[in-house]
Amino acid sequence: MWNNIYAWLDERLGFNDLYTNLLDRPEPKTSWWNTLGSASLFLFILQGLTGIFLTVYYTPSPDHAYDSITYIMEGVAFGWLIRGIHHWGATLMVLVVFIHMLRVFFTASFKYPRELTWLIGIGLFLTTLGMGFTGYLLPWNQKAYWATTVGTQIAGTVPFIGEFILKVLRGGPELSALTLQRFFAAHIWIIPAILAALIGIHLYLIIKHGESHFPEKED
Amino acid sequence: MNDETKKQINERYERKLEKGERFWPDTIFKDVVMSLGIFVLLLLLATFVGIPAEAKADPSDTSYIPRPEWYFLFLFKFLALYGQLPLIGKIEWLATVLVPTIALGVLTLIPFIEKSPHRHYGKRILPISIMIVMVVGIVLLTLTSEVPTVAEDGSTLLGTLQTISGIVIPTIAYLLLFAFKNNTRFMLWTTGLAAVSMIFLSGTVLALTPEKEAEEVEVATTLTEQITAGQDLYSIHCTECHGDDGSVAIIEGVEGLEGEKITPINSRDVLYTITDASMVELISYGRPNAGMPPYGKTYGGELSKSEIDYITIFMRYSWDDRFEAPVLPELFPPLADGEVPSYDVHIQPIVKRYCISCHRPGKDNNNYLMTTYEEILTTGDHAEFNVIAGNETSYLLQTIQGQPILDENGEEIISIMPPSRLLNENVVDVFMRWIMNGMPQTAADAAALSTP
Ligand code: HEC
Ligand code: HEC
Ligand code: HEM
Repeated sequence: MWNNIYAWLDERLGFNDLYTNLLDRPEPKTSWWNTLGSASLFLFILQGLTGIFLTVYYTPSPDHAYDSITYIMEGVAFGWLIRGIHHWGATLMVLVVFIHMLRVFFTASFKYPRELTWLIGIGLFLTTLGMGFTGYLLPWNQKAYWATTVGTQIAGTVPFIGEFILKVLRGGPELSALTLQRFFAAHIWIIPAILAALIGIHLYLIIKHGESHFPEKED
Repeated sequence: MNDETKKQINERYERKLEKGERFWPDTIFKDVVMSLGIFVLLLLLATFVGIPAEAKADPSDTSYIPRPEWYFLFLFKFLALYGQLPLIGKIEWLATVLVPTIALGVLTLIPFIEKSPHRHYGKRILPISIMIVMVVGIVLLTLTSEVPTVAEDGSTLLGTLQTISGIVIPTIAYLLLFAFKNNTRFMLWTTGLAAVSMIFLSGTVLALTPEKEAEEVEVATTLTEQITAGQDLYSIHCTECHGDDGSVAIIEGVEGLEGEKITPINSRDVLYTITDASMVELISYGRPNAGMPPYGKTYGGELSKSEIDYITIFMRYSWDDRFEAPVLPELFPPLADGEVPSYDVHIQPIVKRYCISCHRPGKDNNNYLMTTYEEILTTGDHAEFNVIAGNETSYLLQTIQGQPILDENGEEIISIMPPSRLLNENVVDVFMRWIMNGMPQTAADAAALSTP
């Protein structure tokens, strides 16, 4: 019976095509350095899952953000673990993405035909940093508040439009409830949406071109 | 790149594929092992390192030293060092905008800048050298980010060393690399020397940096901790006017407010009409017209936002009958027969609750400070009489038992302590046993003196 169900579904969904196109592909000999891209992907998914859990209890307002985080740490069963994973996952994701980029650079894997993969990758790197930057403010503690104050200040030094950028980031001249609301929206909707779309294109390109082989003397 | 080269590249890749592996299961297997390893690492970090507690954001606390996320620290350090450069150091946007934009721009467009089709390391010495110097620089700037550019004694030695390692050497290295980009051996030497000297200089800087004591921020997280913290803060700052249970209706013994009629702040009148948010605001701002000073840092007081929150929580759970207080831990563990109390375990919390409000710097107290063990034993106008080991006539013991100290004419020189209300008998008993047994500081010292 299972065979029948499988055959019926395969006829409509094309499991076998998926299998041959996605999984049963030839690859050059790969090394452990090639696992960093998929490790970034894994971290992205893990951040997504733990992040969804955190939004259940988190309140993005200056009056309640700090207390809601305290509640997650003290009151919610295993809240400390989930937040701990999300916290350290963010740090690790920046590291892993950065090292992944370095390895692509050193093996010159960005060269023909993978130039676009690289460009999308730069987008991924910047959005990953953006995730870290916006997420850092959310606990609304001293560290967060002041890190964001100085971080946004730097943006304000851009000649001519600095003032404007500063206002867009902060939603006013100072950090306020608006800033928190804004960073929250960026952190859970806007940037993840961009990140997910870019990852989709990145992965498509990787499957299309296959992973590059490690350069040898003749290359 | 012409079609001939492209064809060569693609053919080579085809040959590599033939000698290669299958994505499933070979490649995936490694990926899964790596991801699992990362997951386990995360579990360990979350469990054993955790997330350090931080106080609530306090926009008024301008004394807080702002620090960005760790992965932006290098940029910050770079800006600080750049600011030290003569002349161009003043033009901020060069460093905040131009340099990062160029670096990022080159990184982004590298597939189009580095046009040669060669991929082997030996044929890419220039880009690889540039990247190595860059990464070494970033790592070192991150590591030295805590080191100040101007030391406390005004010496700029550390700042100069950092500037050399973080800006001067990389700049020279880049210039040399571009000038001799056809000489492989020279480029390798330049990169190697630059990296080694940068590491050496930064290592020296780190070794010369005086060790800074990590400042502990006490953050109360559970409700009981918050109530206790609030109670201690309340005893220190508020009791002189409002009494230790908030019941004072006529202020006594406070200069300038003598006989002032106030609403007892433990009454429903106050607690039911003032919300938490306005209570925090009220304590921050004080009642300057009525004589209550401001406590919030925004208004020149000395309490942070979290601390005022704790006081508010303490007031709610202690006096507001709509709130049920959790069982609070005792101020100090009760003493068994023959047990000797210690400073660390017994005296310190008692003093914090009942004496420090007056016996700290800036208060009227005959210069008798009680904030540390040493101070309790050695300060005060009557230091030699205040605390005498094994002597019941120590001033401290007399005053807390309701006997004021009189001079030879029978004039009172020290009133009873605390001046308004006598301590509970069990608290007096703790002081008595402590002084009669020679004032042990640690629990271990005290245990050695105890008789079972
Ligand atoms: C120097 C004396 C003094 C000190 C110290 C002091 N207060 Fe007051 N407080 C007053 C006076 C005077 C008033 C005005 C009372 C009134 O108008 O009924 C007041 C009013 C209040 C009120 C409002 C009562 C009302 O009827 O609106 C609260 C609440 C309060 N104080 C809490 C505190 C807390 C908490 C602290 C410690 C952080 C503190 N006070 C420290 C003198 C003081
Ligand atoms: C409300 C403020 C206040 C509190 C609370 C208080 N003191 Fe005092 N204390 C004073 C003042 C004021 C003096 C100076 C003498 C005087 O004016 O009576 C003093 C003096 C003393 C002295 C004599 C110091 C000297 O060298 O002349 C001792 C001992 C002392 N206090 C012990 C204590 C102890 C122990 C506690 C806590 C259980 C305590 N005090 C709590 C206000 C206070
Ligand atoms: C969220 C961040 C990212 C994810 C999830 C991701 C994912 C991946 C994966 C799964 C691979 C294939 C496995 C591998 O070779 O490691 C890959 C390859 C690649 N990535 Fe990324 N990546 C990310 C960021 C970046 C960045 C920042 C860059 C560079 C700027 C980049 C450039 C590339 C390139 C050029 C390849 C092809 C390498 C080759 O074929 O050898 N990626 N990426």
